[in-house]
Amino acid sequence: MNKKNINKNYTNPGKFSIFLRALALATMWTLFNQAALAHHAFALEFDVKKPFDLQGVVSKVELINPHSWIHVDVTDANGTKVTWMIEGGSPNALVRKGVTKQSIPVGSELRVIGYQARDGSPKGVGRTITFADGRELFFDSRVPTESAP
Amino acid sequence: MSFAPVHNFRLTTLIASVMLASAAHAQQPRTAWGEPDLAGAYSEFTLAPLERPVELGTKEFFTAQEAREYQQRVLEEADQDDETVAGTQEDVHYDMGTFSLSANEGRTSENFRTSIITTPANGRIPPLTEAALTRQKARNAIRAGHEFDGPEMRSLSERCVVWTSTLPPILPGGYNSNLQIFQSPGYVVIQGEMGDPRIIPTDGKPLPDKLLPQWNGTSAGRWEGDTLVVQTAGFHPNAAWRNASEHMKVTERITRVDADTLEYQFQVEDPTTWAEPWGGVYPLTDLDGILFEYACTEGNYGMANILSGQRALEREAAAKVQP
Amino acid sequence: MKALTLLALFALQATAAPQDEFPRAADGHPDFSGVWQTITTAHWNLEPHIAAPGGVPALGAQFAVAPGLGVVVGDRIPYKPEALAQRDTNFANRLTADPETNCYLGGVPRSTYMPYPLQIFQSSDIVSIAYQYATGLRRIDIGGTYEAPLDSWMGWSNAKWEGDTLVVEVTGFNGQTWLDRAGNYASAAAKVTERYTPLSPNHIQYEATIEDPSVYTEAWSIRMPLYRIVDDNYRLLEFKCEPFAEEKLYGHLRKPAE
Repeated sequence: MNKKNINKNYTNPGKFSIFLRALALATMWTLFNQAALAHHAFALEFDVKKPFDLQGVVSKVELINPHSWIHVDVTDANGTKVTWMIEGGSPNALVRKGVTKQSIPVGSELRVIGYQARDGSPKGVGRTITFADGRELFFDSRVPTESAP
Repeated sequence: MSFAPVHNFRLTTLIASVMLASAAHAQQPRTAWGEPDLAGAYSEFTLAPLERPVELGTKEFFTAQEAREYQQRVLEEADQDDETVAGTQEDVHYDMGTFSLSANEGRTSENFRTSIITTPANGRIPPLTEAALTRQKARNAIRAGHEFDGPEMRSLSERCVVWTSTLPPILPGGYNSNLQIFQSPGYVVIQGEMGDPRIIPTDGKPLPDKLLPQWNGTSAGRWEGDTLVVQTAGFHPNAAWRNASEHMKVTERITRVDADTLEYQFQVEDPTTWAEPWGGVYPLTDLDGILFEYACTEGNYGMANILSGQRALEREAAAKVQP
Repeated sequence: MKALTLLALFALQATAAPQDEFPRAADGHPDFSGVWQTITTAHWNLEPHIAAPGGVPALGAQFAVAPGLGVVVGDRIPYKPEALAQRDTNFANRLTADPETNCYLGGVPRSTYMPYPLQIFQSSDIVSIAYQYATGLRRIDIGGTYEAPLDSWMGWSNAKWEGDTLVVEVTGFNGQTWLDRAGNYASAAAKVTERYTPLSPNHIQYEATIEDPSVYTEAWSIRMPLYRIVDDNYRLLEFKCEPFAEEKLYGHLRKPAE
């Protein structure tokens, strides 16, 4: 069943009832907890005792595998600029929802709440990443479009 | 054929094959060279868990009502779990919702089965043999106390060598739980989104007697009516798929059910690991999207961060000891 | 006698012709399915080059650069002056900077002429290519028009037929691949146009044109045959090189010996 044209509507499949869609959301949260415990030595990369809440300007976006990394320039009260690397997830599902590399423009202002690298370097895992004005990070891109692959 | 509740799965298979053989056979979409067309991108997500809850015993199918109740219970339990609490270890994780990393990306097929596993009758993986437990202990012993000494001590997925969830038999799990199938005369290629392409000749030749160990094994395929039957053997001893040895043999049977669905049946045997073969079935559902490149080692900052984090911990500990 | 010879020639022609033809798919297009490999030293250096040390004295002649007539049409890659300087810097640092040393994917076109086999699977809508090196995989949509959503190592491929030539346009590169072990490179803005044309039943003429105004003064091309592997029962094996690069990538983070 080859798709001649990969310009597809992203529509909710007819088979999937509203009830089951809710289940999918629930499954996500269940898996979240399993994933957090089992996956990838996060406890070693990032220190639960080093939480941060920062705001900064996007200087580089790496929507890559196995984890995305968003580079955020944070300027402190003294005017010193430090570039933070913020870890996120695999972008593959986002691609299927219409996200592209334009989805987080360089120069955007982000707010990141997370935990810093254990070795003290300006790296962190982004527990919550939003635009500084509160908008969800990929929400606007995740609109059903004719052009999602 | 659908995953509708019936009393006897084998009866369903029989009915289904008969149906497929007669009426549906003519409707089975075919490639330009006349084979059943299995190509496409598919979600592995299904509502049936891999193993049947113990309390359900040998009950293979829910009724529609029971399925709703089961799903409602799962929903309620998940609601109670809620979000992780700030300042706890569980909270040290990126938000999977932001990256849309649910195992289910919105497409699945109705499945009233109580588990993916259908053999043995209790729907659960058989216990490990003594030999398998011994191997497992030996593997753990090598790692004990050395888990972060160097990259080779980390898991195969953390090292970006292989995600065992993409090895045959391919089972749903985690995120990016999708696979794609390419098809050309004489070959089918199956690739899990985070895995390697499995090249499967479909000319019906048997597997060679001598096989070089491969992470994905070596596969040989043949058509039985409209079903692709794939035999795979010759696994790398360090793959240890669910604790299996290099002697594991996998049989997969893939059949198109309708325009959006394939049936994926599998059986696993390894007498050095499980006293009896086991297997099951689940639907692959058209993904309505494509798989994107998963270049893992190329972006694996995490490995460096993990090792550097451990070295930092060790330095801190050593500094405390110094006068 | 003459009539008999003519008849014999005619008969020979009639039976020989199908074997002289490149296989065709059910839809009439040439069928590029099969296992193929190039025979060049392009993986060392795309441009003409003499034999030279490989840069690892302990491996002596085993790791030496084999000579090659070059695969660049016109011999020289038309670098802009500052880009040529970058290429030369790449060359000087090649033992550490070449992504191949890290087991990183080869990209396009480099994956085609690495000294390992590749296998093409062709159907009416999709051509997929599996590369033995680092188990690389490409999906090429025939008639596809969608633009790359994100950058990738193997790029984003859309193809069309021009007569018997499969023309593949590849974009969406991340700019991190090299073109060979000599430091030749392209940027993320590169557009590669591959052309696969039957040359004889067991040969494909492979041509790749690279456009990248940030690096080159003009578009340029490479050209070489792909040779069909005709061994009985041949199959690609896994060249999953990730563990072989671990010492290089992470050795400095290893726990110090006590």
